Amino acid sequence: MEFEAVIGLEIHVELNARTKLFCDCPNNPGDEPNINTCPVCLWFPGAVPRLSQEALEKAALLCLALGAELQPKSAFDQKVYYYPDLPKGFQLSQAHLPLSRGGGIDITDEDGTTKRLRIHHIHMEEDVAKLVHEMEGRVPISLVDFNRAGAPLVEIVTEPDFRTPYQAMEFLKALRTQVRYAGSSECSMENGTMRVDANISIRPKGTGQMNTKVEVKNMNSVRHVGDAIAHEISRQSACVQAGETVVLHTRLWDPDKKVTLPMRAKFEGPCVPDPIVPAIELSQQDIKALRSRLPEMPAARAERFVSQHGLTGEEATFLSTDPDVAAYFETLLGQGIAPRTAMHWLTTQLIPAVRDRGQELGTTPVTPARFAMLLKMLSNDEINANAAREVLVHLFDSEESPDAIVHARGFKQVSDRGELDSLIDRVLGEQPSAVNDFRAGQSKAMGFLIGQIMQASGGKANPKIIRELLAKKLEKM
Amino acid sequence: MDSIFVYLNPETVSEGSGPLQGLKISIQPNISASGWPTDAGSNALINFKALVDATLVSRLREAGAVIKGLTRMSEFGFGLAGSRAGDAVSRGAVDAELVLDLMGESRLAAQRAVVCGFKPSYGLISRYGLIGLIPSMENCGVLSRSLKNIREMVKIIAGPDEKDFSLPDEKLPDFSPQKVNPKKTTVGVITETKSGLQGDQESALHAAIDELKEAGFRIKEMSFPDFSLFSLVHKIVGSVEASSCAGRYDSVRYGHRVPGAKNWNEMYLSSREEAFGLLVKSYLFQGAFFQFQRYDAYEDACRIRARLLEDMQKTMSKADFLLLPAANGVPTDATASLSGTYEQFSPTVFANVTGQPALYLPSASGSAQSGFQLAGPRLGDARLFAMGEYLLNLRQGGKS
Ligand SMILES: [Zn+2]
Repeated sequence: MEFEAVIGLEIHVELNARTKLFCDCPNNPGDEPNINTCPVCLWFPGAVPRLSQEALEKAALLCLALGAELQPKSAFDQKVYYYPDLPKGFQLSQAHLPLSRGGGIDITDEDGTTKRLRIHHIHMEEDVAKLVHEMEGRVPISLVDFNRAGAPLVEIVTEPDFRTPYQAMEFLKALRTQVRYAGSSECSMENGTMRVDANISIRPKGTGQMNTKVEVKNMNSVRHVGDAIAHEISRQSACVQAGETVVLHTRLWDPDKKVTLPMRAKFEGPCVPDPIVPAIELSQQDIKALRSRLPEMPAARAERFVSQHGLTGEEATFLSTDPDVAAYFETLLGQGIAPRTAMHWLTTQLIPAVRDRGQELGTTPVTPARFAMLLKMLSNDEINANAAREVLVHLFDSEESPDAIVHARGFKQVSDRGELDSLIDRVLGEQPSAVNDFRAGQSKAMGFLIGQIMQASGGKANPKIIRELLAKKLEKM
Repeated sequence: MDSIFVYLNPETVSEGSGPLQGLKISIQPNISASGWPTDAGSNALINFKALVDATLVSRLREAGAVIKGLTRMSEFGFGLAGSRAGDAVSRGAVDAELVLDLMGESRLAAQRAVVCGFKPSYGLISRYGLIGLIPSMENCGVLSRSLKNIREMVKIIAGPDEKDFSLPDEKLPDFSPQKVNPKKTTVGVITETKSGLQGDQESALHAAIDELKEAGFRIKEMSFPDFSLFSLVHKIVGSVEASSCAGRYDSVRYGHRVPGAKNWNEMYLSSREEAFGLLVKSYLFQGAFFQFQRYDAYEDACRIRARLLEDMQKTMSKADFLLLPAANGVPTDATASLSGTYEQFSPTVFANVTGQPALYLPSASGSAQSGFQLAGPRLGDARLFAMGEYLLNLRQGGKS
């Protein structure tokens, strides 16, 4: 029998708001343990949670970026469970009235068709504390770090629209891009700002059955999500084919062994409305105002890059995936750089160089203004490509302008025909065998001679003029 | 008998200066005063010291009041078993007491002490620093011999607090003295509250009706068929909130801990087993039962609550105030069962469900058996004070 999988995702995204969800403590979970705490996020008696406006806005922008419909009224509930990472006994979450409903992402499926993957709803919730298990001598101890307690999260719950690991991975990549655009989160599975649980069941292909699902957790990269889903599909298929029944439970992905293993589930009770945190009410005007703060989304931007700037679809998608890259690209165009030049130099030179230095495009000392100046000198033939690459290295190390670096370090391109003419003559005199090769019909010798001339010029000769003059000279010989 | 105070403030002078200069006030250990033992009367919070002042405490201090200390309270302030609420005022140790009103405690304590007791509108006073049990029903009540003192205090502690966003964004009542015209004032008496009265309750209610009639007020008999459902709704919704609320008492950072447990879960279970008293434990059990086993009943109770609120709004649109009986007799430790407690508080619990202000006034005769309650519409607190002060004034031979 051929099976197909029915997959739904539950994605937790940690918002990059400055504070926690219900207090003013810094939202920096990685700091020294228990530094970012107060009575509210230590969940002490008498503390009153206050919803952060910034976190709410970041969450709402995230919803809008995913095409979801913000609800006029949403509210927090108490999700009761007892575990040492939640010494309040309940987590504030939105179980009954979520922040948004609907939405979804269009992905390009493996066969090239467009597939719509729908979102059921998106709700806000507070993160729990972090447990650290250590040994005190020979006694195992558990420590609780409250830095993460109360950190602002949203949970994106999809419809069970996914059939393959590929679709899940494409969805997550697109989701990450769109949430980054909204400015709400970095969505890094590696850093834990995006956590994905997958609900997987299988059924005979072509039927509409909804069978018992298994929840898989603990994947820490998009790749792992794909691997874990693929493993779980084959595990369940084998299970059914062996005549066993799939039971409802939760499994953990083991990235080393590449298998899913059963885990003990936490006790979880039904949610009751929280009597303290006021309901969130969003008017049509509020929603309109939020929408106006949303930038152009990546798909629209990529389309514009193709139609306005003549890039290929692939180039446009690459440039628009990271909002910082797209913004950098557009700033270069604004400085008068040709789209293709900007695209080429950005993708092949600047981005790798920035990455090698562990910098970010948004904050690198090679600002768009300085980089544009460099590219302008290149297109004006003031420097050649070799020199431009070298000047770029200097741009990272000094605050000088590209212009100053070119002048101070003699990178300026030699385009003086008289000067180049005598340089060519000198090299031709030194390389009689290459000249003979050329005359014998070996066109490769031309390239060799150009290389020698460039070297003799210290890399500063204008290669276009060299080529032109050399061709003329060789013809006459 | 146990002492009235469980903690006395070593400082006897006020830190601030203002309209409450020199007023001596006691609070209870479920109202945070920075550094004071704040165990809410429960072993589950033993050794917990408040980290900050409750907003209402800091406001009282800034206004010149002296917080005298903490009076003995029932566990979590639920019911009055074991509580000495009201005694500090009746013995003259303080001018006023703050007592959280979960189901009528401030009004019943006032009845016991033969003083005035006031439960403000829900949302009028910041919850910041209050360790409650039933967040949607409780509010900080005030007891004093002088209703004017209560009004002055409520005026100081009411109003928006940047530390508590749960306060609704509503116009505050004007607490300055107001005139009352009895001829233009209708006082409703709910028929359903008149039946089933016991002992002195009935005669006290009739005496109150007579007193109001004599003062020239219009008495209007009104029907509120579902009045008895207030107790039921409070019992179900309140216990679910309490069960959720008290889930945090895990003996880890404070509170009574049973030693020798093998793991966290065992420590949690055995510590909670020992920490809570019988009454609170049965209340938490009940809440857990409704939350985990009978969630549908809880949802029904929430729906009935919404309907009761509407009914009360309709009722309050036909009368300026309601006159209601007080409790039957004064609470003793013998009523420390859940059903006994609800029985005791059946006349007062409505105001906790609806969030409307309610006032206990002792009778002119000065007996604990013969007072009555007045209630106003939500946020009608100032009018309710005016009404109460008018009546007390009349008794002293004053003129309107
Ligand atoms: Zn905090």
